[in-house]
Parts: sequence; structure tokens; C-alpha cells
Amino acid sequence: MYKAVKIERGSSGWGGPLVIQPTEKKNKIVSVTGGGIDPVTAKIAELTGAIPVDGFNTGVSDSEIAVVIIDCGGTARCGVYPKKRIYTVNLTAVGQSGPLAQYITSDVYVSGVTEKNISLYDGEVKAEVPDEPVKEAKPAEQNVQSKGKQGFLTRLGKATGGVVGKFYQAGRDTIDTVIKNVIPFMAFVSMLVGLILGSGIGDWIANTISPYAGTIPGLLVISIICAIPVLSPLLGPGAVIAQIVGVLVGVQIGNGSIPPQYALPALFAIDPQVGCDFIPVGLSLGDAEPETVEVGVPAILMSRLITGPASVLIAYAFSIGLY
Amino acid sequence: MFDVLSNLAQGFIGLFQKGGENFMGLVTGILPTLIVLMTAVNALIKIIGEEKIEKVARSATKNIITRYTVFPVLAVFFLTNPMCYSFGKFLEEKYKPAFYDAAVSFVHPITGLFPHANSGELFVYMGIAQGLEQLNLPLGDIAIRYFIVGVIVIFMRGIVTERITAIMMGQRMGKSASRTQSASV
Repeated sequence: MYKAVKIERGSSGWGGPLVIQPTEKKNKIVSVTGGGIDPVTAKIAELTGAIPVDGFNTGVSDSEIAVVIIDCGGTARCGVYPKKRIYTVNLTAVGQSGPLAQYITSDVYVSGVTEKNISLYDGEVKAEVPDEPVKEAKPAEQNVQSKGKQGFLTRLGKATGGVVGKFYQAGRDTIDTVIKNVIPFMAFVSMLVGLILGSGIGDWIANTISPYAGTIPGLLVISIICAIPVLSPLLGPGAVIAQIVGVLVGVQIGNGSIPPQYALPALFAIDPQVGCDFIPVGLSLGDAEPETVEVGVPAILMSRLITGPASVLIAYAFSIGLY
Repeated sequence: MFDVLSNLAQGFIGLFQKGGENFMGLVTGILPTLIVLMTAVNALIKIIGEEKIEKVARSATKNIITRYTVFPVLAVFFLTNPMCYSFGKFLEEKYKPAFYDAAVSFVHPITGLFPHANSGELFVYMGIAQGLEQLNLPLGDIAIRYFIVGVIVIFMRGIVTERITAIMMGQRMGKSASRTQSASV
């Protein structure tokens, strides 16, 4: 018999509280935090008596998951499990954000959680995830079809209306993502660039790091470091590190300490870790069996060691004649 | 005394003024085109509809070349990050890791030309592009090369990962086979 726990949001977190009651079938507490079992997962497993699973190295089918623990900074992973209506605990204090923000609702999602926010729950528990569908953020698409014969003008009018409606909705979606995803990152990047340029760190970087980033052997070394199987899942989340390095390299290109023709190989040198943190989630989005996930994670990590440096060389060959 | 303080304050504010200038540059220089372009592509995706894309995408899964070029490119372009990985469902298990590897490796190279596909992670490309812009270099050339090299790289990644997956699945089968054998003996 499994015990129920109550998980509340952390000090700056969002969502919840969730009451998790593992059952005979749903008895896995899955930690998808870049490898290993994190303390929150361990605590939940200890209190409930359910089985903690390292979701990064072991595949678990969705129907066995009681709750999944993630550490997503708000780009992708935080919406994937809520979209499938699986209880989700995010260790990072992130609210409704990312491309799947509309699925992140307080009845399946809680964030900013630490061990202190987990307690035993005594009381009546509904065992099942509430199945009520997420409120659709998008208005219903206009239904162009209708019964019976219609005049040519009516049909033309309706078809036009349908297309215009789609354009309008596209505009709304765009403004939505720009506000939720693009502008916040611009603010972050601008602050970073301001600090680099204004404080003199820029000169220091130019003197110490860019001599390496401005040569092919240097870029190869960077790509190999990013592709090391232990590091790559840690460097991956949200591509934040790749983006910061991209900005750093951009600043150095802008002030002339890295020649512009290295821009293309640099784009690949800083990115061999892309998506390495996301492999189990990405595979399960493609309905992969748990066995495939177990093989897939190491296979992709190994592959990156070969293809990471190779991609830099290919990009270098293709940068001939650029600038 | 006051001179020192006011110098400090000036330096402190200066840090953020630089950042503010940079932010203004991004908002006026990048956002307008980005918004219009994203609207156009989003509308195109809605008008074409997911079913038609799926049909075309499915036909690209059969041979090894289109499986790691056309198929992931369509997935990333039309479904965008992170839903593009759901196209893995059209593939056999042994190809799924390779497809994921190819698709996820394309979510940055695509942003130079089609930023709608991964609007949350634009600055891998844009960070570097900003530097080129400061030197008054045109961006069209690097955006298209980033895209083309991206396609070549994901093709290579797909093939390498497919091979490694096949070898590892083989080993696994061997192990579990020998285990059942020894169990039956």
C-alpha cells in the first residue's frame, strides 16, 4: 500500500498543490533531471513507498508514472508532461512558460519545489489524474464546411473569412511567443552584453579566450568538451549556455578579436550538446518503447563525440568564401 | 568625496545604459521583421494543415537519405520545437534515436532563416549574428549556409546514431538471449 504525499510550490514557485497517490500500476517516481535521482525525487519516493527511477537512463512508459520530477528553466520540458496530463514537479521556479505554456495548469503542475515542500497527506485522495481537458487557449477554428448547396459568393465569402481568421490567429500566436519567449531573452542578453562591454570583462575575454575561439583547433577543442557524454546533458537545458556563448562569441566578432569567417564553424562548435538533456523526453514524444530510450540515450551521447567535431570541420569547409 | 561617489554611480548606470542600447537595437532591429515573418509562416502552417504535412512526411521516412534530411526538416519547420519530436511515431523503434538526434540538431540551424521554429532559443544564432551586424556584414549569406550545413550535419548525425543504435541493440539482444539460454540450462 502506497502513502499519499502533498507537494506544495516553493517560495517563488507556481502551481499546485498536488496530491500524489501512487497505485499498483502507477508506482514510479521519475526523475528527469539530467541523470541520477535528485533529493526531491528521493524524498517523495521515501514518503510514498513508490519506486524512484532515473528517467534519464531508464525508460518508463507513461502509464506507470505517478509523478515526474524535472528541472526545466522554462523552455521545453516543463510543458511536455503536463500536455500528457502527467503530474509534474519542476525544481526550477517556472510558471506557465515555453511553447507549451497553455498546458501548464495548476492541477497537474507545481514548481520551485524543494524537499521542505513535501509532506505526507492524510485524507481522501482521488487516485486518478483529473482528466478534464485543458482549457483551449485558441478560439475554435472557423468551420468552413456547411450543409447544402450554397451560392458561389457565399462560399467565396466563407473561404476568405476562414483564411483571414487563420492569419489573424497566426498574428496572435506570434505576438504571444514574442512576449513569452523572445523578449525575455532579449532583456537577459542585453543585460549580459551591457555588463561585458561596460565592465571590461570583454577585454579580458578577448585576451584569454578568443585566441582559442578564433582558430580551428580551438573550436574543435570547444566542440569536444561540449560533446563529452557526462557534460553534454548538463550543458543542454534550454540551450541557455549555447546562447550565452553565442552572445560572447558575437561580441568578440563585433569588436574584431575573432575574424568573421569563423562565425559558421563557431555556430557548430558551441552546439554539439544540443538536446542532450532532452533525449528521454524527446523519444517518448515519438512514442518510443522504454527499451529504445535506454539504448537511445547512450547512443546519441556517443554519436555526438564523433559528429560534434566533424560538424565543425564541415562548417569550416563551407565557410570558405564567406566574408 | 562626492566626486568618487558620483563617478561610482556613473559607472554603475553606465553598465546598464550599454545594455539598454543593446536592447533597443534588438527590439527595433530584429523584432519587427521577426514578428511579420513568424506571422506569415504560422499562417502558412495553419492553412496547409497538419494532416497534409503528415502525409508528405510519412513518405519521406522510407529511404535513409530523406529520413534524416527532409523528414526532420519538415518536422522542425511545421511542428517546431519541442513538438517536432512527435514525428518519431512514424518510424520503427530502431530509427527513433537517430531521428531525434537529427531533428534536435536542426532546431538551431533553422533559426537563421525561420525563427518561428524555435523562438525560445534564437540567440545561439542571433548572438553571433549580432557581432556580424556590428561589422556591417550581410546576414543572408551566413543564414543560408547555416541552414545547408545544418542539413548535412543532421544527415551525418542520423546515420552515425542509427549505426550506434543498431550495434547497441544487437549487444542487448545478445545479452538477453544468452541470459535466457543460461537460465534454461
